[in-house]
Parts: sequence; structure tokens; C-alpha cells
Amino acid sequence: MSVHQIPRRDLGVRPRNIGTAQIVAVVFVVVLLIATLTTDAFYTLENVKAVFNSAAIVGIIAVGATAIVIGGHLFSLSLGTTVAVCAMAFLQLLAFGMVPAILLTIVLGAVIIGLQGYLVGRLGANPIIITIGAGALLTALVTWVSGGVSVYPASGAPSFAFLAAPVLGLPFPVYVFIGVVVIGELALRRTVVGRQLVVMGASPKASLAGALPVVALTTGAFAICGVTAGIAGVLLGAFNQSGTLTTSGTLTYDAIAAVLVGGTAVSGGRGSVIRSAVGALLIAAISNVLLLRGFSPPAEMFVLGLVVGCVVILNHVNQKGQVAR
Amino acid sequence: MTGNTEDFVLHTDSPRLQIRNITKTYGGARALSDVSFDVLPGEVHALLGHNGAGKSTLVKVLAGLVQPDDGEILIDGERVRPRTPRQAQELGVALVDQELSLVPTLTVRENLILGAPRNGAASSPELRQILDSLGLVRVSLKDQLGKLPLGEQQLIEIARALSRDAKILILDEPTATLSDHEIDMVFKAIRRMAADGRSIIYVSHRLGEILTLCQRATVFRDGECVGTEDVSALDRESIIEMMLGQLPAPSVRQHREGSGETVVTIENLAVPPRLMHFDLELAPGRIVGLAGQVGSGASDVLRAIGGLVPEALGTVTVSGRRVRLGSPRRSARSGILYTTSDRKAEGLFLDQSIARNLVATRLAHLSRVGIMDSSLERAATKRLLDLTGLDSDRRREPVGSLSGGNQQKVLIARSLEQTPCALLVLDEPTRGVDVGGRQEIHELIRTAAAAGTAVLFSSTELDEVLELSDTVMTMFGGEVVATYAGAEAKPAQILIDMTQGRDREDAA
Repeated sequence: MSVHQIPRRDLGVRPRNIGTAQIVAVVFVVVLLIATLTTDAFYTLENVKAVFNSAAIVGIIAVGATAIVIGGHLFSLSLGTTVAVCAMAFLQLLAFGMVPAILLTIVLGAVIIGLQGYLVGRLGANPIIITIGAGALLTALVTWVSGGVSVYPASGAPSFAFLAAPVLGLPFPVYVFIGVVVIGELALRRTVVGRQLVVMGASPKASLAGALPVVALTTGAFAICGVTAGIAGVLLGAFNQSGTLTTSGTLTYDAIAAVLVGGTAVSGGRGSVIRSAVGALLIAAISNVLLLRGFSPPAEMFVLGLVVGCVVILNHVNQKGQVAR
Repeated sequence: MTGNTEDFVLHTDSPRLQIRNITKTYGGARALSDVSFDVLPGEVHALLGHNGAGKSTLVKVLAGLVQPDDGEILIDGERVRPRTPRQAQELGVALVDQELSLVPTLTVRENLILGAPRNGAASSPELRQILDSLGLVRVSLKDQLGKLPLGEQQLIEIARALSRDAKILILDEPTATLSDHEIDMVFKAIRRMAADGRSIIYVSHRLGEILTLCQRATVFRDGECVGTEDVSALDRESIIEMMLGQLPAPSVRQHREGSGETVVTIENLAVPPRLMHFDLELAPGRIVGLAGQVGSGASDVLRAIGGLVPEALGTVTVSGRRVRLGSPRRSARSGILYTTSDRKAEGLFLDQSIARNLVATRLAHLSRVGIMDSSLERAATKRLLDLTGLDSDRRREPVGSLSGGNQQKVLIARSLEQTPCALLVLDEPTRGVDVGGRQEIHELIRTAAAAGTAVLFSSTELDEVLELSDTVMTMFGGEVVATYAGAEAKPAQILIDMTQGRDREDAA
């Protein structure tokens, strides 16, 4: 049978003109339109900055979370806790100087989440269970060590105000966010590890049989996520000038929502870092509009949840039959 | 040998099942061509033929899984046309597959009533009676299924068919994974059901079983029905003759002399209880074929060497260096590359494009200091695409949209040309591939061997083993039956080895 005989139409692939990216783009435009038409304050420079600013931290973590999701290992549910711990550690580590503090905090994040990844890869364990367990252990350990009180900058710490200060009109974290997204996207597309992660997410069994280093890749994906948690910890600690476990708030879920809204497939093997960044911006824009419109916090959460849920479902339905090219 | 001939004679009235001129084509290939035969009530009727002869297609037609293009089926003289498995079940046809379709965590009773028609589920006393009639007196309806031995589970599967009041039971290789004792139990149950007047269609590769168990046999060859004979008039040789027909002059591969050097040695390889013992020395460029049916252990040899069986025992060395078994990555690093027989689950990345699939397992070779080199990647994709013979315009299409044969070509091409590769391990390299595709895949394998790679493959298909191998090893029941150097390999002998082993003449 010749391969030329199969007509393209019978391939069972949806036409590409209604992809996930398009859904997110349409939702984005609709949100912006509504915002423009109904909310006067939305298009002020200050407000656009605010949107970017509130997206930055979540967006940075979402980039790391994307590595885990694309690799087919769902999520780390200890993300927020790790960020909080990193923020606390950063403030303490400042005693050793700025550069060591930043580097050590990032290493700490990579070790905490990378270890979880090693367990997931080595034991073939369910990532949800492992990472919830790890989060609980971490909370217990840190509460015990810190005595449950807030951590403040170490005495004699160098000034770290620049980490939260605006540069050329935009807060510093926004630049970090953009940098992380660019590096993350390039790494995913152009490095061996990034490409192997996509392959592993597409079929863990075939990757194992195909002699890919699945344990190392899984550990690596989680460690990358840990690096972004460390970076977020540094920025959050600098912004709050204090750290407690509760600073993490809803970070874990916000980051996961950003990844899913962006359209990275929960099942792995398909997605992109840029999409997650767009997801984070979209969520920030929606909650900003709701804030400006004077919605009460519960109402804001409700509407946001509704929009996020709809986009995720639309993406999911749409992705059946799509291909990574 | 046919101990229940008397029972059989009692029931020779009008046929229970009549198959009339059934034809089925897939694409251009004829799977069944004008097939006709009858099955009588109270008869155990064997379907014979080697792989691809059409038996399984016919079974699928009867079970409502496949619609024939032409022809008719009559049950008790009435024309029927089962379009779904459910309809087949309502007509009294039940298929018991070689793969168990039971739920191990549920109880026996729950398994028996699972999927029964809403008001047609049998009561507990009725189920008890069915179990007793199958000799499962000691099994309680409350037992958890997974805790029973495999043979009893197979019988539960049969019991489920009986609880739906099946008049015609199709048993497809029911003994492939069972021990002798368990086979005994299944045979007793089959004889009892036949004595009750049910018709049993028995599909097996094991000739010994057919000679002891069945009254008549219908032989298939290349989608055609060669004939239906009384088993009492047959022996192994005549059955094999019917199965093989007029063989083309055995196209055994030009047998090349071994160079004497050894690149891979395999000693005392075992995966109990599926594979008891396996030894082999391989020279560069040699192609060794393992001929064995499902459950023969051939596939276990390959999976163990490929590193996919953590509990494998034995020693494998490549160029004198020992390979620690149990990790595909370690095997690959030692130069042993395994390619699965299950391309959908373990081979290809179905959602990903053809181009991505071709390079998916060799990305590290197409990079510099961890960064992908796009010119290297493009060149590799093009080279492999050429190997597969696929149109390069299609490289962005998902591999899952290709035909089975083309998917297989992508899979084989991917595993070729990897470095370093001392031994290529191919499990059923042409499963589900049509004749043309098969030739092309064989050519790819020969090219790899000509370049000095040793090849070890398994196949359930006689023709393939004969065409491709320098050395043929036949396997049965977890053991090697015999080893033949190319020219010595005779189709009839290989088929005998594959279907009954040496010591299993009187299985059952």
C-alpha cells in the first residue's frame, strides 16, 4: 500500500485554525475589550504596570511548573510553601551578602523540589501524593525551626530594595519575569533536556523503552521548577521585607491555573512556556478588571474561577486530536 | 485420542452454526475469501492456520467485532448478522479471548454478572451450578478473583460465557499462558460443555491439544478455507501439510558463514516462570530469529535483554563487558537497542509528528553541548524519512495517523543507525504490516546487519523467520526447542517445534 494514497482529510486531525493559542487570545481580547469599554481606569499606565507586577511572581513560578506539566508529571503541590521557605531563607542568607544569598536561595528551591522529582521518577510515585507530603513536611520543619514567627532581614544585610524597586518605570520583578520566560522558552525548544521533556510527557512508557534518562529528566524538571520557586522567593522576600509560611497564599494554585489557562496539556507532551506566561497575564488582567469594577473579594474569586474553568475546559476539548509539531 | 466420540455422535443433527461464503477485505488485502464451514451441536471444532491465515478475522466476524463484506451466518438455520459484541452475545455466541477480560479486584460473582443484560443476570444458585459444572467446586462466589490461579480465572471467563447461556463458545488460545495442570482443568470443562450440546470453536496453535480435544478441524491458509476434516483422520504431519500448502521454494536467506568472533553473549538468561533458560552467542552482522508463539518465551528473551524486565536473571555481555539487566538505558549504553512489539504503547509517541518521532530517542546525538543543532536534526530527519520511504511532505503529521505498516517503519527506522549499536533487538518487527511493507522492513534490517550490527528478533510468523534469519531458534513453553543454521531450517519442522515443543506431544 502506498503512503501517498491516504488523503489528508482523513487523518483525523482538526484544522489548525482553532488552536489553543487562539482560544486564549480570543479570551484575552474579550477581557481587554470589556475592560476598555466599561472601566475607565484600566488603560492608565499605572494600571497596566499593576497588571504586569501582579502577574510577575505567579508567572515566574508558572514557567517552572510548565516543565513539570510538559514532562507528564502533573504538578508540585508544595510550590507555594517552597516559595515562602525560599523567601524566609533569602532574608536570613542576606547575612552572607547579596550574591551568595540569591544563589543559595535558588539552590535551596531546586533541592527542595528536585528531591520530590527524584522520588517521583525513581519510585514511579504519584506526584500529587509525593508533593503534598513534601509540602506538609516542609511546613512542619520550617515552623519548628523558625518557631512559627515571621523572619526579618538578617542584621547587617545589604540593601535589597532594588529587587522590588521600579526600573525604567516597571518593577524589577517584571524584568525577571520576562527574562525567565525567554530563557525558559528557548530551553524548552532548543536544548536536549527541553526536547526530551516533551518526549517523556508524550509517552512515559515509550520513553523508558526508548532508553531516555527518565529518572534524571523527572528530577531535572522538578529542579527547574525549584529554581523558579527560588527566584520567586527572593523577589517575594525583598518585596515583603519579611517572610512567613503564609506569604505563599494561593501561589501554588495560581501558578497551576496559569499553566492550564495557557493551554499546556495536563497529560504532558504538549505546551509552551510563553503560553503559561500569557495565562498568568490573562488571570492578572481579569482580576485587575474585577478589582477596578469594585467586585467584592469573594465575587472576584467566583468570576475568576468561572473564567479559568471555562478556558481550561475549552482548551482540553480543543486539544483532542492536536499535534505537537 | 478422541475419547468422547460417542457423545459427539449423539448430537450430529442439523448444524448449529453455518458459515456461508464469508469474505472480508482490509484495504486491498483479503483477510477472508469465500469461507464456508459448519459447526455441529456438541462438537469441539478446531480452527487451524498459522498467523495471518484468517482465523482471527473469522472469530471477530462471529463475535460481532468485524462486519464481513459478503456472505452469511446461520445459527440453528436462521440468518443472523451480529453487528456488535452485545448482539453476538444475544445470539448465543460468546468469545473467550486469550487476554482475560476480568477484574482481579472484584469477587468471582461480581465478575460473572459484570456486563450482563440488565434483567438477565443469573442468580447466585445458577452461578454456583455453572461453576460446579466446570469443576470449580472449591471456588466460592465470594472469592476475590485475583487470588485464584490463572487456570481457574480462565475457567471463570468461560463460566461468564455460560452464564449468558452461550450456545456457541469461541475459545481463542485459551491455554497459551496456562500450566499443564490448568490446561487439564480447561479441557475437562470443554468436554463437559460439549456433552451438554454446546458447540465449541477452539482456536490454537498447539497441535497436540487439537488432536486430543477436537472432533473436526477447519484449516485456513491465506484467508481461504482449505477444508474441514475429521480429526481422527489427521495426524500432525497431515495438519501441517494442510496449513502450509504448496510452499514457495523456501526463500531462506543466503546463509553467510559466521566470522567466528562473538560480540554479544547471553548465558543462563531466565525470567521464571515464563522463560526458563536461554543461551546464545552472537557474531557481528548475524541475524538470529526466535520462532515461537505467544507464551513461548521468545518475547521474554528480548525484553530481558532490552532491560525491560527488572527481575531477569542471567548474564549478558557486549564485547566482553557485562550488562546489568533491568534498565533500558543501561542496555542502550552497552549497545543493545530494543524495539518493542507494542508500538502504540511502548514504541511511538502517537500524538507527536513523524519527524519528532524519528529523532525522539536520539536527541542527545543531534546536539552540541546540550543545545539542539538544527542542521544535524534536519539531516537526521531527512535520512530516516528516506529510510521509511515516506513522503517528506508528511513529516509534520502525527505518527498516529499513519497506517500500521508505516508506523512500524517509523519505529524501525528510529532504532536503526543509532550509535553505538552492537545488537539490535526487534520484537515482532513486522507485526500488523502488509506484505510490501514487510519486505521493506526486512531490507532495513538486512542493511543494518550488513553494516556489522548483530540482530536478534522474534516472530510468530514462519515465513518471516525463514526469510530473515541466518540462524533460527525455535521456542516453546519458555525453553529453546532447537537451533537451526539457515539452510537446515525446514518449515515443517519449525512449525512442529513452535506448536508443540519436543516433550509436549501429549499435552492434556
